[in-house]
Amino acid sequence: MNKSKNAAFAYSFLLPSALLTLVLGIYPIAWAFRYMFYNYKGYGTARFIGLDNFSRILRDTEFWNSVVNTFVYAGGKLLLSIPLSLLLAAILNRKIRGRQLLRAVFFMPTVISTAVMAVVFFTIFNSYNGILNQFLIKFNISSSGIDWLGPKHAMLTVILVAVWGAVGNYMLLFLAGLQNIPEDVYESSSLDGANKIQQFRFITLPMLGPVLQMVIMLAIINALKGYESIMVLTEGGPAGKTEVMFLYLYKLFFPVGGSAASTQVQEFGYGSAVAFVSAVIVGMISLIYFYASRRMNRID
Amino acid sequence: MRTKEITGKTVLWIFLLALAFVTLIPVVITILGSFKTNSELTTGATFLPSKWHFSNYAEAWDQANFSTYTVNSLIVSLSTVAGTLLVASMAAYVVDRMDFIGKKIYVGMQSFTMFVAVGAVVLRPQFDLMVKLHLHSSLWGVILILISAHASIFFILLSFMKGIPRELDEAARIDGSSLARTFWTIILPLLGPGLGVGALFTFRGAWNEYLLPLVFTMTKPELQTLTVGLANLKYGISAASQTHYMMAGACLSILPILIAYVFANKSFMQMTAGSLKG
Repeated sequence: MNKSKNAAFAYSFLLPSALLTLVLGIYPIAWAFRYMFYNYKGYGTARFIGLDNFSRILRDTEFWNSVVNTFVYAGGKLLLSIPLSLLLAAILNRKIRGRQLLRAVFFMPTVISTAVMAVVFFTIFNSYNGILNQFLIKFNISSSGIDWLGPKHAMLTVILVAVWGAVGNYMLLFLAGLQNIPEDVYESSSLDGANKIQQFRFITLPMLGPVLQMVIMLAIINALKGYESIMVLTEGGPAGKTEVMFLYLYKLFFPVGGSAASTQVQEFGYGSAVAFVSAVIVGMISLIYFYASRRMNRID
Repeated sequence: MRTKEITGKTVLWIFLLALAFVTLIPVVITILGSFKTNSELTTGATFLPSKWHFSNYAEAWDQANFSTYTVNSLIVSLSTVAGTLLVASMAAYVVDRMDFIGKKIYVGMQSFTMFVAVGAVVLRPQFDLMVKLHLHSSLWGVILILISAHASIFFILLSFMKGIPRELDEAARIDGSSLARTFWTIILPLLGPGLGVGALFTFRGAWNEYLLPLVFTMTKPELQTLTVGLANLKYGISAASQTHYMMAGACLSILPILIAYVFANKSFMQMTAGSLKG
């Protein structure tokens, strides 16, 4: 009797959490899974069309352009942020003056809203009377400023903003990993005459292997999925130059801001199929990376 | 050797200070910019404001509706924190302390929602559901959806729960305390540090959330939160003439979270290892 009473209590305590997760977490994914086989624009009746949405994806050059952009964006973000955050963590793990304060400074961007900072970065990088260009003109570094959000540099700008927001987070994860490396390994190696670069190469890097593997994995997934700051900063423009996979996907479901995209027709069925393909792409990249990086998990 | 060491130290510090400068400057520009006039922002490249216009805040507060946005942001964030902590701690309690059929399924479901994300597609059915429940014309729809995403907080609280000795539960049971009473009077107070960290993360997430309130307030500007209202200023036709409002608004949305960060710096730094942002 006591047992069934206990079970009733357990279920009653679990109910709010389970119900919310089922209704607002699991059901929406199932919804998308169903509608990817339908022609459904959000009104009227949905019509079953089998795999037509997927053959449309194959011909959708705008989507594949966004996939290429996603890779460029993610690649650029990773190439800049991972070495930088690793270097910062290695430096700030040593007993240098003011390291607590510096850690706090570098971590600060991660507590601020991505969307809000994108608005601020917009006023900084704005080609016409942006704060950065005024500075460049005033100090004669550039005569007419640089078209930061123009077709040529928009992707670079978007990557720089992303790196600004990400370095602190990875630095912290690396720091947590570095704390597990015993101090005396460094001491004995410096007695053997190893310099700091050699120590980094032959002690820090190999012993950080598993953490490095995990952080890069996280970074890849986040970079492939991130689009909030791009949405506010460039809306995917100019001319689709910064359109990434998940932003393209968003536009199939909702209008964006005050741009021309707001007149775009919403397509729920096709969007669900695009979501599925995008999720598969992210999953595949993660899997490939995971197998390719298995060696890092081995400390020797 | 000595000069080499000094050069090395100098290079190191130049590198660190330059990076710290680049990290801080956008926020400094925002804070200083919020006191400048609009023409100062759009024409002159002065670093400090020539005259400190504190009135920008009053104007942004009234004219650009930041009072409404702030209240909305507070409602969303505080309700989400309260709801998330309650729902997640109750679940963590029974999952850690009791055995029942379906426990594995529940935990699996939580990790599934944490790792499978298909982007904006889930927003659509979530929105339609809220329309059916008549919750789309208030912020409760947003709050419920934010609370439903409590998987990571559940796992954090679960790990803290494991640290509370089970002997306490048994002693309470022998003294005749019901399971619910044990939870409220013994477990929850001891879970304090875990709840604090959970509150910090949930508040940060809800306060900074952009897409969800954006989707829910597309036709209802009076429900916009700070992030949404601010980003919309950028889209406004007269955006060029409102840069100083934008900066004041950005400060209004950055400062509370920054102050919370300064005070809770230590727990932020220790626990973010579990955070997925970046």
